Amino acid sequence: MPNPNSPSNDIGAQYYATQLGIYDEMYATEKKALPYWERFMAALEAMGGEQLELRRREAQRLMRENGVTYNVYGDSQNLTRPWRLDPIPLLISSEEWAVIEAGLKQRAELLDLILKDIYGKQTLLKKGLLPAELIFGHEGFLHPCVGALQNQRRHLTLYSANLARGPNGRMWVLDDRTQAPSGSGYALENRTVMTRVLPDIFRQTHVHRLSVFFQALRKGLADIAPHNKEDPRIVVLTPGPLNETYFEHAYLAAHLGFTLVQGGDLTVRDGHVWLKSLAGLQAVDVILRRVDDSFCDPLEMRNSSKLGVAGLLEVVRRGHVAIANPLGSSILENPGLLAFLPRLSRYFLNQELKLPSIATWWCGQRRERDFVLKNLDNLVIKPTNRSPGNHAVFGGALSNQEKDRLRSQIAAKPHLFVGQEQVSFSTLPAFIDHRIEARNAVLRNFVVASGNDYVVMPGGLTRVARQKDNFIVSNQAGGISKDTWVLAAEPDKPVSVWPQTRRIPLLDAPFEPLTSRAADNLFWVGRHLERIEAAARLLRTLLLKLRETLEFKDFVDDECLKILLRTLTQVTGTYPGFIKGDAQLLKTPEAELMSLTKDGHRKGSLAANIQDFVQAAFSIRDLWSHDTWRSIDNIQRRWHQRVVNNDITIEQLQKHLDDLITGLVAFTGLTTESMTREAAWLMLDSGRRLERALALIALLRSTLALRHEDALQNQVLEAVLVATDSLTIYQRRYRSNIQLPMVLALLLMDETHPRSVAYQLQQLSIHIADLPRCKGKNTLSEEERLILMAYTDLRLCKVMELTQTDENSGIYPELEQLLASTTTLLWRLAEVIAEAYFSHSQTSQLMVLNAAEDEL
Amino acid sequence: MKYRITHSTFYHYSQPVGLCQNEARLQPRDFWHQQCTSSRFDIKPTPVDFRERLDFFGNRVAYFAIQQPHTQLVVTAISDVTITPRPNRLDSFSQMPWEQARSLLLEPLPIGQSQNQQAQGQQQNQEQPLDWLEARQYLMDSPMISISPELTDYALASFQPNRALVEVVHDLMGRIYKDFTYDPTFTTIATPLSEVLSFRRGVCQDFAHLAIACLRAYGIAARYISGYVETLPEPGKQRLVGADASHAWFSVYIPGTGWLDFDPTNNTIPLDQHITLAWGRDYADVTPLKGIAFGGGQHTLSVSVDVLGLG
Repeated sequence: MPNPNSPSNDIGAQYYATQLGIYDEMYATEKKALPYWERFMAALEAMGGEQLELRRREAQRLMRENGVTYNVYGDSQNLTRPWRLDPIPLLISSEEWAVIEAGLKQRAELLDLILKDIYGKQTLLKKGLLPAELIFGHEGFLHPCVGALQNQRRHLTLYSANLARGPNGRMWVLDDRTQAPSGSGYALENRTVMTRVLPDIFRQTHVHRLSVFFQALRKGLADIAPHNKEDPRIVVLTPGPLNETYFEHAYLAAHLGFTLVQGGDLTVRDGHVWLKSLAGLQAVDVILRRVDDSFCDPLEMRNSSKLGVAGLLEVVRRGHVAIANPLGSSILENPGLLAFLPRLSRYFLNQELKLPSIATWWCGQRRERDFVLKNLDNLVIKPTNRSPGNHAVFGGALSNQEKDRLRSQIAAKPHLFVGQEQVSFSTLPAFIDHRIEARNAVLRNFVVASGNDYVVMPGGLTRVARQKDNFIVSNQAGGISKDTWVLAAEPDKPVSVWPQTRRIPLLDAPFEPLTSRAADNLFWVGRHLERIEAAARLLRTLLLKLRETLEFKDFVDDECLKILLRTLTQVTGTYPGFIKGDAQLLKTPEAELMSLTKDGHRKGSLAANIQDFVQAAFSIRDLWSHDTWRSIDNIQRRWHQRVVNNDITIEQLQKHLDDLITGLVAFTGLTTESMTREAAWLMLDSGRRLERALALIALLRSTLALRHEDALQNQVLEAVLVATDSLTIYQRRYRSNIQLPMVLALLLMDETHPRSVAYQLQQLSIHIADLPRCKGKNTLSEEERLILMAYTDLRLCKVMELTQTDENSGIYPELEQLLASTTTLLWRLAEVIAEAYFSHSQTSQLMVLNAAEDEL
Repeated sequence: MKYRITHSTFYHYSQPVGLCQNEARLQPRDFWHQQCTSSRFDIKPTPVDFRERLDFFGNRVAYFAIQQPHTQLVVTAISDVTITPRPNRLDSFSQMPWEQARSLLLEPLPIGQSQNQQAQGQQQNQEQPLDWLEARQYLMDSPMISISPELTDYALASFQPNRALVEVVHDLMGRIYKDFTYDPTFTTIATPLSEVLSFRRGVCQDFAHLAIACLRAYGIAARYISGYVETLPEPGKQRLVGADASHAWFSVYIPGTGWLDFDPTNNTIPLDQHITLAWGRDYADVTPLKGIAFGGGQHTLSVSVDVLGLG
C-alpha cells in the first residue's frame, strides 16, 4: 500500500511551474494559491500520486466502457478515439461564476436579436450597422431561410461559447457557437465519471449540479414545439455514426428520452415532417439539429446532401416543425461579427458587453484591413468561413513567402478574413505523465433558452492541450478534457431531468417508435452476431480436429478435417478458400485459417464480422443499456487486442475463440434479459434466427447432405454436433451411436432445441406475425407466406425419407433439396423484410437539367 | 410586345418514384418593363401539395410535392407576358466611368462607418438606399462564380481607365461573343468557369457566368438572369412549335441609373424579345426546375419550350 505521506508520493504540486506573465487559475496573480484551490490540492496531495494515477486510469476505463468516444476524421481504421479526462477539474468560485453567467446570458440575448434581424427585417443591414459583405458574403447566411423564422419567444435555442482567461485575469470570449453546439453531453459524462473516481473530494467541495441545464433543455425544446406542446415528439437529427461527436448525439437522445434519427429516417409529406417508424409514419414536432444547417434540406440548400430531409425548410416556413437551432443560425459564427458586437449591444440592449470578445478586426473595411496587413506578425488570421483545411494561422509563424500569399488573399477577398489578437490563455493544473503540470485551458459553456430566460449550465467542458505551451486546444488535435466545478455556497439538491407533471401518469405509455434505420441495424446486429458465432464454433471444432490429425496421423481424421475446412469456407462465404480443392492448402491450412480470423478487410472473416457487428450496434448506440454496450465493446476490444493486433499461433487461437463465444453469450444474455419485447427485440431476434438458420443449413449441406463411408460419417456427425453445441444433448437423449437420422431429428426437426432449424423457423413465424404489417390482418403478407412455406415444408418432412439414398450420387437428394429450398426461401424473406420495413435505405436523386440539354 | 410561353419538362423513370419534392422558378416575375398577366401550372400527376411564394431575390417560386407512386412526371408552365421596350442606345445611359461606379458601390455613405467607432444615434436611424444594399450582394463570389486571377486577367482589356461603365460592359460582351464558341456538347452544369475560360467554349449559362465574374473581379455588381428569347423562323420556313429553349444573360448595376441587361450569347442588349423569368447571383439561385425524387431508378428528362409572339 502506498503511504500517502511518504515523500516518494510527491506529485509535483510544489514544483508546479507557472509561466511568467501568464495568469494561472490556481494562483491568480498572487504567490499563494486561491483558498478553494488550496483545499482541493491538499486533498489530492493527501491522496498521493500513485492513487491519483489509479483514479485517472479508472476514469479512463469508465469512459471507454461507457463508450465515450470522439471520432477523428480521416482515421478509418480506428474510427473512434476514447475520450480523455483529466482528474483535476477547473474550479470556479461562485462570485466569479455570477459574472460569467450574466455575460453569457447577455450574449445569447444579443445574438438572438441579431439572428432575428438578419433573417427578418434586416434593419441592421439597412441602417449600415452591419456591412452587407459581412452577412451576404458569409457561407452561414442562407438565402432561402430569410423570412422563415417562426413566431417564437427566442430563436437561438442553444448557444455555446469558448472562453479563455487573458493575462489580466479577465475572461474573454474566443468564439461563439450557434450552428449546433456540441459538448454538453461530454460535460455531463465527465461529471458522471468524476463523481465516481473522486467521490470524497466531490462531496466535500460543494459543486453545482448540471441537471438544471438538461431540465431546461427539455423544457426549452418543448417550448418551441408548434403543436403538442404538452407532449411533443422531439428527435435528435444526427449525421450518423461517422460524425465526430456521434457519441454525444446518441447519449443526449438516450438521456433526454428523444428519438435519435438520421435524415433518411424522416420524410416530408402534406407539409409536415414524419418519422418513418416500423409502425408507420409518426409526426415530428421538434428537431434538435446536429447536422449543419446547409445540409438539412437538399431541395433548397446543398443539393448533394444525403444528411437532410427534402422539403424540410418548406415545413418550417409553414410553421409545422421547429428546429433548434433554426436553419441559418451558423451566420452568427462569423468571427467578423465579434468586431460589431459592442455597438450592437448598445443598439439593442443599451448595455455594454459584460464579457468582452477577443479583439477582432474584420478586413471587409478599409481601415481595419490596413491595420491587419500592417500588423500581420502579431495577429492570428482567421478565415471567416470554417471549413476543413481552412485554418487560423499565426501571422508571426509564417515565412515571408507565406505572408505575401496571405496578404494577396486578403487583398482579393478581404471580407473573408479577420485578424485577431493573440492572447496567452491562463494555465491550469493538469495531471500528465504522473505529475501535475501547467497547461493552457479553454472553457466551453452551454446556454439554452428555456421559459422566459436563458439558462447557463453551471459548469462546462474544459479542455487543455496535451503539450506544454500549446494554445491550440482541440479534440481533433488530441486534447484532454476536464470537468468544470462551479462552487456553491451549500450543496445542491439533486434534480431529475424528467419534468414533474401534474397529469396522472400514463400507465400504458405509447411504445417508443423504432425508426426503420434502427430496425435495419438491429436486424443486422442479430445477423452478424450469428455469423460470428457460427464461424467461431466451427473454427473451434476444426482446430480440435487439426490437433488430432497431427497427433494420430489417421487417414479418417485427415478426411474429416478436409470436410470441415471446406465447410468453413461455405459457412463463412469466403470463397474460393478451401473449396477449390488445392491439396496443398488443405494440407497446410494454417495461413488461411489465420486470415479468416484476423483479416478485417476480408469479407466473411471473424475480424470483419466483428467490425460489422460493432458498427451496426454503434449506429444505434442510444438503444443499448450500459451493460449491453460494455459487452459489445468487450467483444470488439478483446478480439482486436488479443488476436488481430497480436502475433498468436494457431494453438493459442483456441482459447481466444472460447473467450469470444463467452463474450457473445454475454451479449445474448443481456439483450434477452433487458430488452422489452417490442419492435426492437423483434428485429434483433429475427435477424439472429434468420442467420442462425442459414448458417446451420450451410453447415448441414456441406457435411450431412454428403454421403460418407461409415468411419468418416461417424466423425463428421460428431463434429457437427460439437459445432452446434449439441453433443451433450444428443448423448443424453439417444445414448447410442451417433447416426444420421437421429442427428437430423435433433438439428433439423426438433422444435424444442434452440439450435435446430425447426426452432429458428418457429421463432421467426412468431416474430413475423407480430410485425406491424402482419398484425391483426386477415390476409397473409408476403413475409408471412414465405415463412409459412419454409416452416411447413420442414415440418412435413420425414427423417427416414430424407436419409434415403440414391445409388448413383454422393448426396442424400431429398435432404439436399429441402436444405436448398429452405435457403432460397429465407434469402427471399430477408429481402422482403428489408423492402417492407427498411424504407430509409431508399435512395433519393436530384433531378435538374443538364445545362447543355436545356439552354440556348 | 406580348408573348405566350409554354415550358414543359418531362421526366421518365425506369422504376416508380414514391415521393418527390420540387421547386420551380418557371413563372415570369414582374418589374418595370415586364408584366406577367397570367401564369398557370399544369402538373401531371397532380401534386397533393402546392404552394407559391416569392424568394429572397423576389422571384416567383412554386413548391410542390407528388406523393403517389409514378413513373412519369410532366410539369408545364403557361404564362402570358407583356414587355414594354426599353431604350437600347448606350449613350442614353449614364456615362459614369467604371472606377466611379466601383467606389460608389463600395462606400456610398457620406458618413464614415467604422467598426470600432462610437456610433452616433442620428446616423443609426438613417437607412441606406435599398437598391444600393441590394446591389452589394452581387459583388461577391456566389455558389457557381468564384473570381480568380485568370478571370481578372481576361477582363483587364475591357477595363480601360476612365472608360464609361456601359462601354466597358459592351466591350466585354463583344469580346466574349468573339472569343468563345457556342458549344452545347462541351459543358454541363458542373463545368467550372476555369474550364470554360481555358477552352473558350460553352453555352449561354457559361457566358453569363463568365461576364458576371469579369465584372465582379473589378468591383462591379452583376447578376444572372434566366428567361427566354423569342426566336424568329428563317424567312420562308414554318415556325416550329416547342423548338425554343431557356436562355440566360446578365445584368449590370449602374449607380444612379439602375440595372442594365446584356446578352453575351447573342451580343445584344435585350430590347423587347427577352422575357425574364428570374434573377439571382448565378444559375444556382434561379434553377428553373429542380426536384428530389425517392426511388425511380434511372431517369431521363426532356424539355420543350415554346415562345409565341402575340404581337
